[in-house]
Amino acid sequence: MVPQWWSTTGERITKQFNVIVLTNSFKKLCHIDDLKDGTALGFDPLAKGQDTLFVVRQGPVLRSYKNDCPHWPGSPMAWRKNAYLTSDGAHIACHGHGARFDIESGLCISGPCDGQSLQSLELKVDESGYLYVRLEHLSGKTDI
Amino acid sequence: MNIIGPDALVFGVENVKDCEQYLIDYGLDSVGDGRFEALDGTSIVVLPKDDASLPPALPTGNMLRKTIYGVADQNTLDAIAGELGTDREVKVLDDGSLVANDDLGFTLGFQITVRKAIDLPAETVNAPGAAPQRPVNVAAADPDAAPKPRSLSHVVYFVPDVAKGEAFYTQRLGFRCTDRFTNAGPFLRPAGTQDHHTLFMIQTPPFLQGCEHFTFHMGGPSEVMQAGTRFVEKGYESFWGPGRHIFGSNWFWYFNSPFGCHVEYDADMDIHDDEWTAREALSSEDTSQIFLFQHRDKWFPSGGPPPAKE
Repeated sequence: MVPQWWSTTGERITKQFNVIVLTNSFKKLCHIDDLKDGTALGFDPLAKGQDTLFVVRQGPVLRSYKNDCPHWPGSPMAWRKNAYLTSDGAHIACHGHGARFDIESGLCISGPCDGQSLQSLELKVDESGYLYVRLEHLSGKTDI
Repeated sequence: MNIIGPDALVFGVENVKDCEQYLIDYGLDSVGDGRFEALDGTSIVVLPKDDASLPPALPTGNMLRKTIYGVADQNTLDAIAGELGTDREVKVLDDGSLVANDDLGFTLGFQITVRKAIDLPAETVNAPGAAPQRPVNVAAADPDAAPKPRSLSHVVYFVPDVAKGEAFYTQRLGFRCTDRFTNAGPFLRPAGTQDHHTLFMIQTPPFLQGCEHFTFHMGGPSEVMQAGTRFVEKGYESFWGPGRHIFGSNWFWYFNSPFGCHVEYDADMDIHDDEWTAREALSSEDTSQIFLFQHRDKWFPSGGPPPAKE
């Protein structure tokens, strides 16, 4: 059963939506149980050979952003697979030049892109607890 | 002044275990006391950021705490102490090495170099029109090869005043500018090496001052590719490359790291002497590389029917 607080990142969805939209516009990433509290997971849903997005969970907050630092568009942020957070888990970090971001808003709070934001991606959670990301948001000129 | 190049970079880090594992997976050998060595004895030193032996951090909090240069002999050390002692404190440590700040606030060390002579073949190439570099019946491609970094190649700094930095290294320590990116900074070569650069500086806002990347020389472009592929397969995040630079001609592959900077593999850098005239260009996609590849998972095409779907 999906806890109520997952709705902070996307409304609970109907079976009809599940069939029509999720299969066409969204890509399944993982089950929410795969994403432990205080961690992040990177995904490569378009098979680019490098993770193009990550999902982070912090308490009730579940967010997805492009793996693309606004300091220098095209720059991947982790230093190792799934290593997107600061060592205390309090912020998202770009391990290129040390930018730190608020997990909930994606806003850069320190570093070379102070005041800019990560590109947020739309997430959905289906009735079985599977996580989907809207694919169209993944394309763009800073595509990695 | 017969400065050869960086012997060691000393970092004060938040997560020592992550940094140590990173350097081992990169290919350096742990020799104790936080030191991770390449084949010629040049090294990265990893210490906890609050270790009492570390020089103070830059105001930016960058994790690089000290750049230690290897020099040819005691006469060179004496010359450096004399030169820098005219306008700043030069400490002599128990091991005889010197410590002083540059004009930008980076802590420098100088020691008689620890570099060991290494005797290893470079990557060999067979090409029509040239004598074979590999004997007959010797195969080059070895999927089990584990190429190791040979020597600390160069360090790159983000600096708030590139002109001030260049003046210090050229006028006080005898470095020469080999090439220059007009809108970034100079590639600098000390007198004791012919390598295109051991130091490159990039102009940035003051809050970014620190180490942008460091790199070790590999045995050739294939080793850059093979070591980089091994690093990706271990889960590390490719940042830029593989590709080949134009200034310096070195092959490159950069990775993100837990050191707050990038870490590179490089190979086959140009060598220069004092007859060389520095080139200058605006840094851009076109001037920084001849070509750029991007890693993808292993894949192969074949004939016959399409493979069965999973």
